[in-house]
Amino acid sequence: MQKVVRLFKRVSVDVPVRPEVNVADAVCVQALPIWSKQIETARLQTEEAIVALSARFAGIVNRLDLALDASQHHSGDADLAQALEAGRRELARVMESLTEIHQSRSTLATQIRSLAAHSSELAKMASEVEQIAFQTNMLALNAAIEAAHVGEAGRGFAVVAHEVRNLATASRETGKGITEKIALVNESLAKIIDTNETVSVREGKALHDSENRIQNVLGQFGDMSASLSRSSEDLRRESGVIKDEIAESMVQLQFQDRVGQIMSQVVGSMRDLDQRASAVVRGEQPALDAEAYMTQMINTYTTDEQRRNHQSGISHTGPVNEPTGTLKVQGGSDIEYF
Amino acid sequence: MAKRILIVDDSASVRQVSNMALTRAGYEVIEATDGQDALGKLAGKINLIISDVNMPRMDGISFLKAVKAHPNYKFTPVIMLTTEAGEDKKNEGRAAGAKAWIVKPFQPQTMLDAVAKLCLA
Repeated sequence: MQKVVRLFKRVSVDVPVRPEVNVADAVCVQALPIWSKQIETARLQTEEAIVALSARFAGIVNRLDLALDASQHHSGDADLAQALEAGRRELARVMESLTEIHQSRSTLATQIRSLAAHSSELAKMASEVEQIAFQTNMLALNAAIEAAHVGEAGRGFAVVAHEVRNLATASRETGKGITEKIALVNESLAKIIDTNETVSVREGKALHDSENRIQNVLGQFGDMSASLSRSSEDLRRESGVIKDEIAESMVQLQFQDRVGQIMSQVVGSMRDLDQRASAVVRGEQPALDAEAYMTQMINTYTTDEQRRNHQSGISHTGPVNEPTGTLKVQGGSDIEYF
Repeated sequence: MAKRILIVDDSASVRQVSNMALTRAGYEVIEATDGQDALGKLAGKINLIISDVNMPRMDGISFLKAVKAHPNYKFTPVIMLTTEAGEDKKNEGRAAGAKAWIVKPFQPQTMLDAVAKLCLA
């Protein structure tokens, strides 16, 4: 059989004293230390979990910071753009050199054509030499005829005329030889010009193809570089957002500090009540003054919501009032400079 | 050279949030778990102190009074960072020599603004 004790003096005139209240007091005396232990355990477990969670969050934020730093310093965006630009410059130089070579070939063709023009003049000159030789031969033939009419007196002149005809014949043969050689040279020059033009056309086409291919490769490289740069930027931006979200979550974890203080106060009050109740049970102290006790309890509060809960919950009549809601960290904090 | 800030709070999560915000802003941070612990860490250069009010062993107001009585740290600015929003406690802090009173829960930027302002002074 439980010993029925009267813990509090009932001071409220509008609350009638009922026998079951004394039983409730007795239950409280036994339950108080247990409740306080339960609450303290819950407080410690919450604190441990929040501290661990907060440490994890801090670790994630630090790692994201490191990753973002590394990404910003070693992303290679600038290096890639520089390499692309350097590649463009180098390849432009190569194309310039190839174009210069191609142009030199055209100059060569022009010079060869000019040489061919000179050779046709030479052919004309050789033909003139042949013509002169023919006329000289005719002249020498007439001279020999005239020398024969003169008889013995013209014998010497006839010899001279014969030699002149021999020279004219030799001149005509030489002229023919020159004409033939010039024809050979012209033929060779025409072949050279043809070959040169064929090579030049092929070279021009190859040059054009090379330029297109180089532009394509550079374009693809540029697209790839831009895509990489965009991906890198997206990654950086998303990491930044995640980091901010985690940092904000850590701020919200401050609720543990308030909850811890509220629970500590409840545990403290319970222990205090337990000690006093034990003293009353032992008959060392008279029944407690409830009103004085409640007033004293106000001084142990550290947050506004405790005081509000106390004020709104002090009445024992009527329905139980709703507790003060949770306090979330909003845009700005309350700060006062002294 | 980085400025050194002493954070005094019995809540590990509050110390962590404050430490992270200050470290990221370029400050060097020392942590203490209550007033008693913080007194033992008053050594060398400390540019500013951020202290909770309700702590075991030695509360924030007693610690603040001890700092203001310390020959080397009496001019070190102290910011109180607490769940206490009541005028009585605030006046107690003001009378003891605190420079600012921030009510928890707080945005780290508010704390950083106050630290930057008081570190310059």
